[in-house]
Amino acid sequence: MKRPLLGTALVHMGLVVLCVIVLYPLLWVVGMALSSQPGLQQGLWPLPAQPSLVNFTHLLTAQDAAGHFTFWRQLGNSILVATLTTLVGLTFSVTAAYALSRFAFPGRRLGMTALLATQMFPATMMSVPLYAILDKLHLLNSLSGLVLVYATTSVPFCVWMLKGYFDTIPKDLEEAALLDGASQGQIFLKVVLPLTRPALAVTALFSFMTAWNEFVLAATFIDDQLRFTLPVALQRLVGEYKTEWGLFAAGALLVSAPVMAVFFALQKNLVGGLTAGGVKG
Amino acid sequence: MADVTLRGVHKAFGDNPIVRGVDLEIGSGEFMVLVGPSGCGKTTLLRLLAGLEQCDQGEVLIDGKVMNDAAPRERNVGMVFQSYALYPHMTVRENLAFALELRKTPKAELDARVNEAAQMLELEKLLERRPKQLSGGQRQRVAIGRAIVRRPSVFLFDEPLSNLDAALRVQMRGELMRLHARLQSTMIYVTHDQVEAMTLATRLAVFNLGKLQQVGKPLDLYARPANKFVAGFLGSPGMNFLRGRVGKGAVAGDGFSLALSPRYTALEGREVIAGVRPQALTLSAQGGVRGEIEAIERLGTEGYAYLRTKVGTVVARFEGGGAELKVGDAWGAACEAASVLLFDAASEEAIAVQP
Amino acid sequence: MTRVGGVAAVKRAIAIVTLACALFASGVRAEAPPEKTRILVWHAYRAAEETALLMLIDQFNAAHPEYRAEALALPYDVYPSKLSAAIPTGHGPDVFIFAQERVSAWARDGLLSPMDADAAMMPGEFPEAALDALRSKGALWGLPLSLKSVALYVNKSLVPVAPVNTDEMVALAQKLTDPAQGRFGLAWEAGDFYHHASWLSGFGGKLFKEPEHRPVVDTPEGVAALTFVRDLMRKKHVMPEEPSAQLVATLFNANRAAMVINGPWFAGEIHGVDYEVVSLPIVSATGLPARPLLTVEAALVSATSEVKDGARALARFLVSKDASILRAKIGRQVVATRSAYDDPGVGGDTLLRAFRKQAESAVPMDNTPAMLTVWEPYKRALTAVLSGLLEPDEALAQAQRRLNAIAKPMPPPASPWPLLLLAAGGILALSIWIRRRPVRPDAPALYHDVRRAIAYCTPAAASILVLVFIPFAIGVGLAFFHHGEGRYTFVGLSNFVDILTSRDYRITEPMSFWFTLAVTLAWTVANVVLHVSIGLFLALLLRDPLLKFKGVYRVLLIVPWAVPNYITALVWKGMFHRQFGAISALLATLGLEPVSWFTRFSTSFAANVVTNTWLGFPFMMVVSLGALQSIPQDLYEAAEVDGASKWAQFRHITLPLLRPALLPAVILGSVWTFNMFNIIYLVSGGEPGGATDILVSEAYRWAFQRNEQFGFAAAYSTLIFLFLLGWSALTRRVAREPSPEAA
Ligand SMILES: Nc1ncnc2c1ncn2[C@@H]1O[C@H](COP(=O)(O)OP(=O)(O)OP(=O)(O)O)[C@@H](O)[C@H]1O
Ligand SMILES: [Mg+2]
Repeated sequence: MKRPLLGTALVHMGLVVLCVIVLYPLLWVVGMALSSQPGLQQGLWPLPAQPSLVNFTHLLTAQDAAGHFTFWRQLGNSILVATLTTLVGLTFSVTAAYALSRFAFPGRRLGMTALLATQMFPATMMSVPLYAILDKLHLLNSLSGLVLVYATTSVPFCVWMLKGYFDTIPKDLEEAALLDGASQGQIFLKVVLPLTRPALAVTALFSFMTAWNEFVLAATFIDDQLRFTLPVALQRLVGEYKTEWGLFAAGALLVSAPVMAVFFALQKNLVGGLTAGGVKG
Repeated sequence: MADVTLRGVHKAFGDNPIVRGVDLEIGSGEFMVLVGPSGCGKTTLLRLLAGLEQCDQGEVLIDGKVMNDAAPRERNVGMVFQSYALYPHMTVRENLAFALELRKTPKAELDARVNEAAQMLELEKLLERRPKQLSGGQRQRVAIGRAIVRRPSVFLFDEPLSNLDAALRVQMRGELMRLHARLQSTMIYVTHDQVEAMTLATRLAVFNLGKLQQVGKPLDLYARPANKFVAGFLGSPGMNFLRGRVGKGAVAGDGFSLALSPRYTALEGREVIAGVRPQALTLSAQGGVRGEIEAIERLGTEGYAYLRTKVGTVVARFEGGGAELKVGDAWGAACEAASVLLFDAASEEAIAVQP
Repeated sequence: MTRVGGVAAVKRAIAIVTLACALFASGVRAEAPPEKTRILVWHAYRAAEETALLMLIDQFNAAHPEYRAEALALPYDVYPSKLSAAIPTGHGPDVFIFAQERVSAWARDGLLSPMDADAAMMPGEFPEAALDALRSKGALWGLPLSLKSVALYVNKSLVPVAPVNTDEMVALAQKLTDPAQGRFGLAWEAGDFYHHASWLSGFGGKLFKEPEHRPVVDTPEGVAALTFVRDLMRKKHVMPEEPSAQLVATLFNANRAAMVINGPWFAGEIHGVDYEVVSLPIVSATGLPARPLLTVEAALVSATSEVKDGARALARFLVSKDASILRAKIGRQVVATRSAYDDPGVGGDTLLRAFRKQAESAVPMDNTPAMLTVWEPYKRALTAVLSGLLEPDEALAQAQRRLNAIAKPMPPPASPWPLLLLAAGGILALSIWIRRRPVRPDAPALYHDVRRAIAYCTPAAASILVLVFIPFAIGVGLAFFHHGEGRYTFVGLSNFVDILTSRDYRITEPMSFWFTLAVTLAWTVANVVLHVSIGLFLALLLRDPLLKFKGVYRVLLIVPWAVPNYITALVWKGMFHRQFGAISALLATLGLEPVSWFTRFSTSFAANVVTNTWLGFPFMMVVSLGALQSIPQDLYEAAEVDGASKWAQFRHITLPLLRPALLPAVILGSVWTFNMFNIIYLVSGGEPGGATDILVSEAYRWAFQRNEQFGFAAAYSTLIFLFLLGWSALTRRVAREPSPEAA
C-alpha cells in the first residue's frame, strides 16, 4: 500500500502542530527551571532571556548534613520503588488476570467487579487506616511497605487490562503447548506471557507511574530523609507561604526524564501484532 | 506404539450432545482415518483423546490404561491442530523444538530431529521465520512437524493436509505413510479427502451426528457400507439412491427399474432404497433408468452425466470424450445386477443377505 | 539465546527480585538498637530556616551526649495528616515544629504535652500574643519559635516615604499606577484571606463571635474592608487582577508594583530592588491600624514521646536566646524570644525589626478547628467580589451561610441496633440466597480449576483485601458517625440524609449535593470522551507502519503524563490568567478581548477540562496503542477487499474489537476522573463560588477544612462509591460485556 505524498505530509504537519500544542505548556516549566530568579514570565514566550542552570545544579548537588547527595539517593529510592512496584504489581496482576481469563471458577464476575470497586472509594479517607494497617504489618518506614501499597493500587487496572488481552489470545495455542508437554507454569511463562507483550508494556508503564509520581503516601509512611522518594523531595519545595518554583520546575523535569526513558524502552512492544499467524482463520 | 480404546464415550457442550456413545478400538500401530461431515464431532473426538476435553461418560484408554483424568502430557499423544496453533512469537525452528526443549532433550538430538522433520516437510529454508511470514500450507507443515519431532506413541491429525496443493499433498501423504511405517506409532487421522482416506487408512471410521457409523478396511466400507450414510459418504461422485420397491428380479420405482441379483428375491414387495455407484452405472441409450441430461462432467477418457429422473438426479458414467452428449437429451443408464445395493427405506440400514 | 532460554532468564530475574524483596523487607526494620536516646524532630523548614535548625540540632547533640536529635523535613502538604496518623500510633516525632493553627485540636486529642513549666523557665521572653496563640483550655502547648505576619514592602526608588495611613497609600498607589504599562501601585494576594485579614481588623472587624466562639463574617466591618479592597482593584485599578504570589513577586522585582503586602519569606525573592519593610498603614476610615494575622511557629512536644525530658530540653534550647539569635541570623526568622533582639546583629536588622514590630500589633490567629473552616468561604467571597461577580455584602452573606452549614449542630446520637440488625439480616438473606441458588448441574465440570484459580489469585486478592478493603470498610463505617470535639458518635443514617436531602442548600445551588453531582458527571463525561477520542485517534495515527518518526511522536506525546501534574496544572492556571496569561496574549495577538476564565461557570469548567484533557490523553493513547495490537491485520485486509471505507473499518472492526481491551481503561478512567479533584483544586479552585467543584472536593473539604467532620466526609465518599458502582454496572450492561463464562 502506498500513501499519497500529500497525505503523508498532512499527517506529519498535523502531528507536528499537535506536538507543539502539547509541548507548549511544558515550555513554561522549562522556562521556570531555567530562570535564576523567581517570578513568572509573561506573554507568549516562556523562556527567560538569560537561561541559567543554577536550579538544576542546586538540585543535583544538594547534600545533607552527613554528606549524602540527597537527590541521587532519592532518585535511587524512586527507581527502586517504581521498579519493584512494577515487578510486584505485574506479578500479582498477571497471575490474577490469567486466572480470571482462563480458569473456570465461581465468583469471576464478582471478582472483576470488586477490583473495579476498589477504585471507587475516594482515597482521601483511606490513608489513616492504611497507616494503622502498615503499622500492624511492620511495614511502616520501609520501601517494601510502599512498594506493596503501590503495587496493590495498580493491580485493578492491570488486571482488567491484562484480562482483556488474555481473552484475545487463542486458547488453541495453550492446548498445543499442553500437548507438547508443557506444564501450566511453562505455558504461562513461555506461551502466554510473550504474547501479552503490548498489554504488559502498558501495564508496566502504568504501575511504574503509579509509584513514580506519588508523594502523599510516601511522605506519610516514610520517616527517613534518605528513604524518601523524589516526588516527596520535590513536594518539599511547595511551602506554606511560598513555593520554590524554579527548583520545583527543574525537579519536575528531572523526575520526568526517567519516565520518558522507560516509555521509550517499552514502546516498541506496543506495536507489531504478535498473535498474528498463530492460528488459521 | 499404543493401542487406543474408546468405550461408550459421551460428550456434550451444554445441552448439545456432540459425541454420543462411541466405542472404538484402535490397535497399536494402526493408521485409523476418521471421516464424517463437517460438525459431526471429529475434532471433539480427537480432543477427548488428547485430554483437552473431559468426557461426560465412558472411558478413554491408551495402552490399556484408563486415561479419563490424565493430563494431556501424561498421554504421550501428539496433535496437529486443525487451526495449526503455531506459537506466533517463535520461529519455525523454535516451534518445532519447543516440545523437545521442554523434555530437556540433548541439544544434538534435538537439532537432528528438528532438521529431519524440516527436511521431510520441506521447511529447511523457513526455519528462521515466524508463523506470520509463512503461507497457509507452510504453516500447516510446521504444525505437522511440531507433532512429529516428538515421536509420540499416538498421533492425532486433524485435517493436516487440507491446505496443501495437490502435488504436495500426494508427496506429504507418502511421507506420512513412510513415517508411519518407520515409527510404527498409532495414528488417528481426520480428513475430508476421499483419496487420503482410502489410501492412508489401515482402517476407516465413518462418523455422523456424533455416532460411529461403520469401521473397517477402506475397501470393505466402500464395497459393503453398513448404511445409506456410509454408502453415500464414501466415493466420489456419491452413490446414487433411488427409492423403489423390490419386484421380480429387479427393483423398480417411478421411471426406473434395475435388475437385482437373485439373492434378493426374498425381499420381494419390500420398500427399499437402491444404491448404485456412478462408476457402476453406465450411460446408454436404453437402460433401466431414464432421464434427461442436466449436466455433463467430461474428464477426458471418461465422464459423468447427471440425469434428471423422476426420483431425483442420477449420475452415470460414460467412456471416452462424450462428444455425442448434449444437455437436454433423453438418455438412460444401466448397471450390472451385482452392483446394486439395497437399503431399508425406513432405517436406511443396508439390507444384508447371504450370498 | 533461544526464546526458551530468554524465558529462563526472566524466571531467574523474578526469583532474584523476590529474594531481594524478602531481604529488603526483613533488613529494613532490623535497626541496631540506638546507644543514645534518639529525639526525632519533624519540620517543614527549607533552605536557610532548615540550615539554622540543623545547626542548632548539632549544637544540642554536642551539648547533650546522652541524646541524639535527628531532623526529618516533610512536605508541608502532607505534614499535618502525617502527624495525625503517626502520633497516636507512637511513631510520631518527639518534637515537631508547626504553627498554632491546629494546637487546640491536637491538645484536645491528647497529642501534645503541656509546656507551661518550660515557658515559665524563661519569664518575659515571649510576647503575650505569641503565648496566647499556643494556649488552649488554659494550658500552654508549645514554645514559640518565630512569628510570621505580613507587612508592607515598599520600593524605595518609587516610594521614598512609606505611607502611614490608607489615604496616603491609595493616593500614592494611584500616582504610581499605569495599567497600560502593567504598572501598579499596590499588589498582594488579595484573593487570600490570610492577606485580607489585616484589613478586616483595620476596619475594626473580628472573625469570631464570643462567647460561643463562632465565626461570623457578614459584619458591617467585614463589608467595609472588602469594599475597600474591591474598590482598589476594580474601581481605582491600582492592583493587578487575580494576583498570585508569583505575580506579586514578578511585578515587584520588575519595579512594576510599588508597594507589596507580604511576609518575611518574600524578602528572599526580591532581586535588584531597593526596598524597606514597614508596618501596615492605619485605616483612615477608622483610625485603626491594619493588624495582620499572626502565626506563631512553635516547638511542640508529642504526648506519646518516650523521651519527653529530652524533647522538652530540645524545645527549650531552640527558643533560648543564643539559638534564637542563630535562627534569626542564619534562618532569617522573626524569632519570638525577646532577648535575642539585644544582639546587635538581630536587633539592628531592619527587616527583622520591622516584622517584629508588625508582629507586636498583629492578631494571633485562632488555634481552634473553627479557624480552619473560615478560609474557604472567605476565599470564595474574596474572589467573587474581586472578580466583580458579587457585591461585598452579598458575598459575605453567602460566606456566612456556608459557615453556618459547616458549623451545623451534631445530629442526635442514634442507637446502632436497628442498623446492625438490618445488616445482619441482609447478610443472612444473602447467605440463604447463595445457599438456595440452584446449583448448575454442570458446576463441577465448569469449575474444575478452582484450586489453580485460588493459587493464581491469592497474592493480588490478599493484598487488596488487606490494603484496600479494610481501609474501605473503616471508611464506610465512619459514615455512620459524627466526628466532633475529637469524639465519634454514632448517628445512624443522618449524615446520608443530610447530604441527600441537601439540607443546607437548595438543590439548584452550587453547594448542594445534587448540583455538585451534576457537575461531576459533566466533568467525567467531558474528560473521558475527550481522553478516549484524542487518545484513540492518535494511537490510530501512530501505529501506521508507513509513518516515519512514529517513536519520536509517541514519546513526545506522552510527556504530559510524565511530568508531575502539580506543576503543569499550575502552569495551565497561569496561562489562563486574564491579564498576564499566555492565552490572553494569544487572544490579544488575534485582536480578541482577554477572557476572565474563572468568573463564569462555563469558561472555568472549560479551563479545567482543557487542562485535564492535556494531562489525560497520553494515558489513553498508550492504552489504545496496546489494545490495537490485539486486532489481526488481515481483518482490515478482508474489509478492504469487501470495499469498506476507512470509516467503516474503524466502525465495524476497530471499535468492536477494541472494546474488550479498551473498556477497562474507559471505565476505570471515568472512575478516576470522577474522583480527580486536584486538577480542579489547582486550576479553577472551584471558582466561581464552588460551582466547578466536584463531589470528592466536598468530601476532602469536609474531612480537612471543615471542623474535621470525618463522618460527613466518609458519607460523601460512600455515596460517591455507591454512585460509581451503580454507574459502572450500568455502563457494563450497556456495553454488554460478554459474561466470563462465555470466554
Ligand atoms: N467448545 C464448544 N462449545 C460448544 N460447542 C462446541 C464446542 N466445540 C465444538 N462444538 C460443537 O460441536 C460440534 C462438533 O464440533 P467439531 O469441531 O468436533 O466438528 P468437526 O467434526 O471437527 O467438524 P469439521 O470437519 O468442520 O472440523 C459442532 O457443532 C460445534 O459447533
Ligand atoms: Mg474439526
